Amino acid sequence: MNLGISATEFVSQAKEGAISVEEFIAKTLERIKQVEDKVHAFITVDSQNALAKAKDIDKKIRSKEKIGSCFGMPVSIKDNICAAGLKTTCASKMLENFVAPYDATVISRLKNEDAIIIGKVNLDEFAMGSTTEFSYFGTSRNPWNPQYVPGGSSGGSGVSVSALECVASLGSDTGGSVRSPASFCSVVGLKPTYGLISRYGLVSYANSIEQIGPMARTVEDVAFLLNIISGHDSHDNTTINNPQVDYLKDLKSGISGKKIGIISQMIGEGIDKEVASATNMAISKLQDLGAECIPISLDAVEHSVAAYYTIASAEASSNLSRYDNLRYGFNFGTEGYEFKAYVAKARSNFGPEVTRRMLLGAYVLSAGYYGKYYLKAQKVRAMIKAQLDEAFKKVDFLISPTMPILPFKIGEKIDDPLKLYLTDINTVTANLSGIPAISVPFAISSSGLPIGIQLFANSFEENKLLQAAYVLQETTDLPEVPL
Amino acid sequence: MTRIGLEIHCQLTKLESKLFCSCKAEYRNLEPNSNICPVCAGLPGSLPMLNKKAVEKAAMISLALGCKIPEKIGFFRKNYFYPDLPKNFQITQYNAYGPTSIGSDGKITIEGKEIRIRRIQLEEDPGRLVYEGKSMLTLVDYNRAGTPLVEIVTEPDFETPKQVRVFLNVLADLVENIGVSDPYLEGAMRVDGNISEGQGNRVEIKNVGSFRDIEKALHFEITRQQSLLERSILVIAETRHWDDARRITVSARSKEEEEDYRYLPEADIPIVLIRNESIESIKKHMPESIVAKRERYISQYGIPAQVADVLSSDRFYSDLFENSYNEKNAKEIANIITTDLMGFADTREKKLELKITAKHLTELADSIVNNKLTRNSGKLALHEMMKTGKSLTDVISSLDLGHVSDVGSIEKIIDEVFKEEEKAVAETRQNPDTINYLVGKVMRKTKGKADPATTLDILKKKLSS
Amino acid sequence: MVEKKEIEHLGDLVKVELKDPEKYIKQVEQIIHYFDRLDTVEFNSDDTLRREVDAENLRDDKYEPYGMSLIDHLNKDQNNFIRAPKMV
Ligand SMILES: [Zn+2]
Repeated sequence: MNLGISATEFVSQAKEGAISVEEFIAKTLERIKQVEDKVHAFITVDSQNALAKAKDIDKKIRSKEKIGSCFGMPVSIKDNICAAGLKTTCASKMLENFVAPYDATVISRLKNEDAIIIGKVNLDEFAMGSTTEFSYFGTSRNPWNPQYVPGGSSGGSGVSVSALECVASLGSDTGGSVRSPASFCSVVGLKPTYGLISRYGLVSYANSIEQIGPMARTVEDVAFLLNIISGHDSHDNTTINNPQVDYLKDLKSGISGKKIGIISQMIGEGIDKEVASATNMAISKLQDLGAECIPISLDAVEHSVAAYYTIASAEASSNLSRYDNLRYGFNFGTEGYEFKAYVAKARSNFGPEVTRRMLLGAYVLSAGYYGKYYLKAQKVRAMIKAQLDEAFKKVDFLISPTMPILPFKIGEKIDDPLKLYLTDINTVTANLSGIPAISVPFAISSSGLPIGIQLFANSFEENKLLQAAYVLQETTDLPEVPL
Repeated sequence: MTRIGLEIHCQLTKLESKLFCSCKAEYRNLEPNSNICPVCAGLPGSLPMLNKKAVEKAAMISLALGCKIPEKIGFFRKNYFYPDLPKNFQITQYNAYGPTSIGSDGKITIEGKEIRIRRIQLEEDPGRLVYEGKSMLTLVDYNRAGTPLVEIVTEPDFETPKQVRVFLNVLADLVENIGVSDPYLEGAMRVDGNISEGQGNRVEIKNVGSFRDIEKALHFEITRQQSLLERSILVIAETRHWDDARRITVSARSKEEEEDYRYLPEADIPIVLIRNESIESIKKHMPESIVAKRERYISQYGIPAQVADVLSSDRFYSDLFENSYNEKNAKEIANIITTDLMGFADTREKKLELKITAKHLTELADSIVNNKLTRNSGKLALHEMMKTGKSLTDVISSLDLGHVSDVGSIEKIIDEVFKEEEKAVAETRQNPDTINYLVGKVMRKTKGKADPATTLDILKKKLSS
Repeated sequence: MVEKKEIEHLGDLVKVELKDPEKYIKQVEQIIHYFDRLDTVEFNSDDTLRREVDAENLRDDKYEPYGMSLIDHLNKDQNNFIRAPKMV
């Protein structure tokens, strides 16, 4: 049985009875057992429920009952998205024992379509990081070379899809957290337009810029998942009530006659040579297929990392206040403590990166500093969006490498936070402006590490964006993961 | 000079659901933590869903207090750690980075005194804390967490605690009148004060349990600050708590220790656009404001300004007035209410005990205007009607208050008086200025029912004959 | 310059007992210094890119009890209260 099939292949084979869902799930669980020692993608594996659900679906298929469009497809979920009855740890000691009593909207939509939640996967604590090294449960490893980081913060999602431990995954993208591991693990990852997907049940980190994003092995699969999880939600005031779109319908429309802008600020200085040449290769292939590519300058991008970390830290410091260990949390009695001392003691269990960002957040929001940092960062957002609006008058898409560098060794950058922050330079623009962006696997470096290419489109143009991503995907012929 | 400003928290008790979730807005008398959901319990992943009607009701209060409502309102997070806050921040409104609260820059005139309203903001109520016995362990009940609340902040325009009390009574009537709150529910209306004496520092008074205690707390605080100033001791800028048991204010924290709330825009709630049409429609459906009512009383019925002031400020009595007046008797009814009724029944409890109806008042005023009853008898009749609820006719006959104005009856009585008071009659013939003595005698005999003018006429005639 | 006192104040604001405040001083200082560049950007607009929603489209005021007894999923005492440490 081939665990590496795409979601769309899985669905058609399961529908026809060509594969047994129970067998597929059992094999998947076996695979997880096999590779977890090497890659550590999962925090929780829900074997029993997954198998029971699979049996149930097989029975329904045999008796030709109505079945949801996922037909028991195994999906992994980043462990900052709530699924009822399962732990939602956010890879933090603070939520080590927290069992979500409710389903996030994306989870109930997946369940309605008979997807199987196979488990909850690793991340940087509370999604703060870009390597998955800041997990309380230990780092995840890149399936292409376990000495290397898988990217992050949705590292567990990228790894589990890449290592064939599931068919697809949901991550969350605050500053590149879906696209970075997609790029480093050679899978497809989409950061949708802010407001396209409900955040209800996503544990907030920087709520004004983050979105849940689908990750899978093909662009079709990402479109398929987007069909299920996108759309207005009465539990999230920030979702937009647009008419529902079928993202699969015109996926293969091609790119002929379309214009693509190459973002000058994202392929210049500081870019790895192999990443740069892969990007140029991608551009020339798209040109061969009828697209016109022109350089576009977005000078506000220079301020994007500072703006991003200002906003993210500020919002994080507020969003994480609720973890005082009173209503839920780890085992630590209140006896003998005064309230403030107790809370400060309990909260000293946050990891170093989360603590750092909360301190930064408190700094930039302190009385008298709001105008200097947070407000300016917000204005940078508007400035970037204005420049993008101008650009999208001239072009249909923008292109850049997803990450400026190749995956690097575990531990290599962990002690230099600012240096690590600067690797987000190509991804944060989409979060600050709200526009959609996708990372498509494009090449493997001479050292055997994946390189992803990033495409952007204007807000709520996921349909177009996926069409371009599909074209790019079809130009490649990448090797299988060596695991 | 004393300067007092107020912060009034008023729950929007007329709403069904909480401010950001569908739990019940009425949290009273429920089992602990039985009225909670992931949103109001601050669970990870939950998001606030703003209540449309709460925005409308807050807009109504803003309009009633003459505030401006901006085209766009926004919400902020006020960050501080406290066990009654399930998220350790409160979602509220804030104007420091541009006015985005539901109301600002209003004013209301009460008994001739103008009180400026600085701002009105919509926010969530925290949960409720219970302190357990000696251990002082804190028990938390989140049933109240997320209850819709409006905070009304005044400028420091009050000079006396009495003005504060009058204002609060008017405000309570007002929020009840426009149908946003029942201010008499326990905890529905809570007041904090700030107060400064002369050039002294501002002191905040918090934790005043009941509406009535704010006056006492302010009195205590004025005395405390004045005695410090007299001894040339500096008044410290601080927050003081009202100690209900000891009836004093005690220092809670000094200004330097004040929290840094790190206000931050609440991105989970987009900026809310309030259309002009919505405001117009709210205005149209809103009961007449106190100010408009006062103007109408003065201009249409010629009621004196002070009387109109008092009458329009009190929902109960102005309702009574509205239901009883006609063009001829309006002034008389206003008089009866403000001079007799209000003095008699000045508290909510006493008002509720009143048995008088609009019909009573109309008949009473008509009788006085048409000279069928003297003012004096009117007062007696009013008191009887208030207590018993009997009709005016019944009261007049049972108390024998009928006006005696027929010449025959009065002549008969005057003849009696002339017989009994020969000396006085002779004296009055000499000196007409002493006639009032005789009028008084007639009145006494008729128990005040004789028409004074007719009595005087007949007396004069008989004296000169 | 970020000083030890300041880091500890920040730690107090976010209620985290810092085991090793020294470690954070340098990092926070370095990053704040990087943020300082925001103060030099020239803007020709005050827009901050906030989403907007029409008041008419907000949630209707309707009471709907939550489908389950949520308190059973939280840390509570036998009377269903959440227990917090003493306040003073
Ligand atoms: Zn609730």
